[in-house]
Amino acid sequence: MKESTRTAVLAAARTLVAAACVALVVTARTTVGWGHLLVMLAGLAGLLALLAAYNRRFR
Amino acid sequence: MTTLSTPPPGSTNRTSASSDASDVFEASKQAPSAASSRRGVARVPVRRRGDTRFVLACLLPALVLFAVFMAVPTVNVFRMSLYTWSGFSPDMRFVGLDNFRRLFDDDQFVRAFQNTVALLVVVTVVTMGMGLFLAAIMTRQRLRGRNLYRFVLYIPNVLSVVVIAATFSAVYDQENGLLNGALRLLSLDGLQQVWLGNQKVVLYSVAIAMLWQSLGYYMVLYMASMSSVPEELYEASALDGASAARQFFAITLPLIWQSLSTTLTFFIMSAVNLSFVLVRAMTGGGPDGSSEVLLSYMYKQAYTNSSYGYGMAIGVVIFAFSFLVSLLVSRATRREPLQF
Repeated sequence: MKESTRTAVLAAARTLVAAACVALVVTARTTVGWGHLLVMLAGLAGLLALLAAYNRRFR
Repeated sequence: MTTLSTPPPGSTNRTSASSDASDVFEASKQAPSAASSRRGVARVPVRRRGDTRFVLACLLPALVLFAVFMAVPTVNVFRMSLYTWSGFSPDMRFVGLDNFRRLFDDDQFVRAFQNTVALLVVVTVVTMGMGLFLAAIMTRQRLRGRNLYRFVLYIPNVLSVVVIAATFSAVYDQENGLLNGALRLLSLDGLQQVWLGNQKVVLYSVAIAMLWQSLGYYMVLYMASMSSVPEELYEASALDGASAARQFFAITLPLIWQSLSTTLTFFIMSAVNLSFVLVRAMTGGGPDGSSEVLLSYMYKQAYTNSSYGYGMAIGVVIFAFSFLVSLLVSRATRREPLQF
């Protein structure tokens, strides 16, 4: 796979995962409960993990 | 922009934060003998007792203020979370971790926690994303009247949060509000809502007010960072055929990363506080607690429900959550600063 294609696929995958995490937070909020709160926190953790993964190669 | 985190070779750490006034004074006296220092003769600064006293006297007022208004109240929050107290009577009873056990059975607390997390995620992502996008456009694209746009977007940050809450309450008004009025004008009557009375949309109505309040501030901060990036880098990359998007991700973003990292951590802490003020002024946590956030729930328990100890237990949870998220963000965005 060409380097540019690989970069584009990676960027698209990251964007999709970020959107999925935000969607998880928004949808889990509609029901009140500890389980749903944990799902929301998992979404938040996913966003932070994504940020850390993006930043890792620049450290 | 600060660049290198490590001092250049051959330099000493004389001007670091830990050096004091006496060090600087001694350094100035030693300036003529810099040549001998370069030859490797180390000089130890002499700290006089009078200087130390003067420094301590200067620090004392700030330390006293910090202790009285920061350290003592914070310790008190932790201490009071172990007691049950109405907030007014002299009777305080030690109950250990009972207040924290009560949290597990409190659905209102869980809902407030969920609302806080939702606001934190949605508002942070949208504010940072839009702030970066608008700053990049205003810095890189030579828009006509960009100073006007910057001024208009920055104004909400100058306004009091309560004024913003009142403005948005008027905009969201069911009968005479700007939003429903505009929808009626566009024959989109089906989209009309009771923006602050519908449990499904009320939190997002507050989120929009938060976004409006903070967007301009972060945009201006990013614009300041972006304008310090040397133009030659963009010219060189343009000659290599880089698109505007490529330039943004390969040049702009890495070179403003320090600013981004700091503002992200700062925003997370301020979003928790801002959500409280807006919720308090716009909805009071309603309808039926659907827009309640952790701080407003803590306030209600401590000062309206006369459960001060329980309120402080919620305060401890807020402290732990904010601290943990800020720490994780700080760690996730840590990077060696670039020199340019």
